[in-house]
Amino acid sequence: MNDPSLNEPIGGGSRSAANDDIDLDRVWVNVAAEVWRRHPGRLERTAARLLRSPGLARALFTTPSLLLPWLIASAVVLAVGALTQVGAGQPVVWLIAPAVAAVGIAYSYGPGLDPAWELSCSMPVSDRLVLLTRGVAVFAMNAVLGLIASAATLGTHASAGTAQLTFAWLLPMTAACAFALAVAVAVRSAMAGAGAGVGAWLTLVLAHSATDGAGGGLSAPALTSAITDANLYLPYLAVAACCAVIVLFATRPRRGLL
Amino acid sequence: MNIELTDVTRTFGRNKAVDGVSLAVGPGVFGLLGPNGAGKTSLLRMLATVLPPSSGTVRLLDRDPSRPAARTEIRRRLGYLPQNLGYYPSFTVAEFVEYFALLKEMPAHQVPKAVAAAVERVDLGPRAKARLRTLSGGMLRRVGIAQAIVNGPDLLLLDEPTAGLDPEQRVAFRTLIRDLGQHATVVVSTHLVEDVGTACSEVALMAEGKVVFRGTPDELTAQGEGHQVGDSPLERGYSAVLAASREQVAA
Repeated sequence: MNDPSLNEPIGGGSRSAANDDIDLDRVWVNVAAEVWRRHPGRLERTAARLLRSPGLARALFTTPSLLLPWLIASAVVLAVGALTQVGAGQPVVWLIAPAVAAVGIAYSYGPGLDPAWELSCSMPVSDRLVLLTRGVAVFAMNAVLGLIASAATLGTHASAGTAQLTFAWLLPMTAACAFALAVAVAVRSAMAGAGAGVGAWLTLVLAHSATDGAGGGLSAPALTSAITDANLYLPYLAVAACCAVIVLFATRPRRGLL
Repeated sequence: MNIELTDVTRTFGRNKAVDGVSLAVGPGVFGLLGPNGAGKTSLLRMLATVLPPSSGTVRLLDRDPSRPAARTEIRRRLGYLPQNLGYYPSFTVAEFVEYFALLKEMPAHQVPKAVAAAVERVDLGPRAKARLRTLSGGMLRRVGIAQAIVNGPDLLLLDEPTAGLDPEQRVAFRTLIRDLGQHATVVVSTHLVEDVGTACSEVALMAEGKVVFRGTPDELTAQGEGHQVGDSPLERGYSAVLAASREQVAA
């Protein structure tokens, strides 16, 4: 992996020939490395530590630079959110909604639109883990936007719809996705993380529908209340906080990271 | 051997892109020749662990890429230039190379120097801070080569690396891969015969998904004695082997 020639003179040694005692090519590479060095911000350094991968952190922080995919992913998330409002009486919407959103994000960052997708697939940092990280970024960003929109529309006619979209859809999805990423980072397996995320979502929906006193079983109102229940907003945030703790513990600072 | 393929096949629907290829390749520069649609890119994508084979066995760097842990280790030691390399237009040259150095899980403290060395090796130092959207096609190709060599790979796979390069750059590129081939296995897929003649120590010629010739460039040249099609001796050898292959298929 570490090619010794990286430290050797470059380009046939025209600069080396000028002086046998000082390797000017090597000096130049060192100078260039310092001049071109990108200094990651505090957030990126923190993300690198949490995700245990500078590459994954870089992928996360370059996400907004892929402008079109970002917008499309956001549109997919919001469209599915709107769909859940339309189909609030249909339980199947709640169950398949995460999958629909995941497919939308996967397509937006996958072979459909990511220009360097094939190259990314040949990298040791799992493309699925990169995808999961970007999924969290998309949901978290949209949850923040939703919170801002909720605050902005407070007391207006639109406030109920905006708040429901934010608290009933974006925040739970952010929590589920963050949980999936936490598991994936802890066990270094995107598949395990995705499985945990989907499992958590299904458990949440089905458990609440089973214990709901109003109708029990898989009735539509019960399923809807499992997500739209305002009493669950705090648990959602608690799940996200627990995920953060798990990630913090599993990713204690080690050598070799940014 | 860094590459060991045994009866590898890859199909897409009813189309057999790679048909029973067996190869063993050690350190050095290995040329993969063939006309468009011969299966070179599919074979290279399997070597890059991007595409699994439909059947047969692949071993890379003494590891089995079908196992996740082994695949990750192979990828750390791999450099790959796809035929259609996509770019993030807003990235600078240095940022793009750095991004893939990090995705290759290079130790973070080694990255800046490795990026500088790779960018210099492809002679893009003066454009290191330029946005990719401002570069010419040939320069973008060199950016792709820089990201492929940034980790000092033991296995370097280059698909049509000289596409878009001017003659001077192609000469410099051949020197570069000869240099890299002293430490690593370099596989160069191309349909440009002259690239192979000057840079490769060994060559395989593919047609219809099969390897129809394997030997040194001199041995390929020898195949063309008495054959009229082609401007150079090597091209005549290339044409002769392909013609013989087509006759065999027709028969």
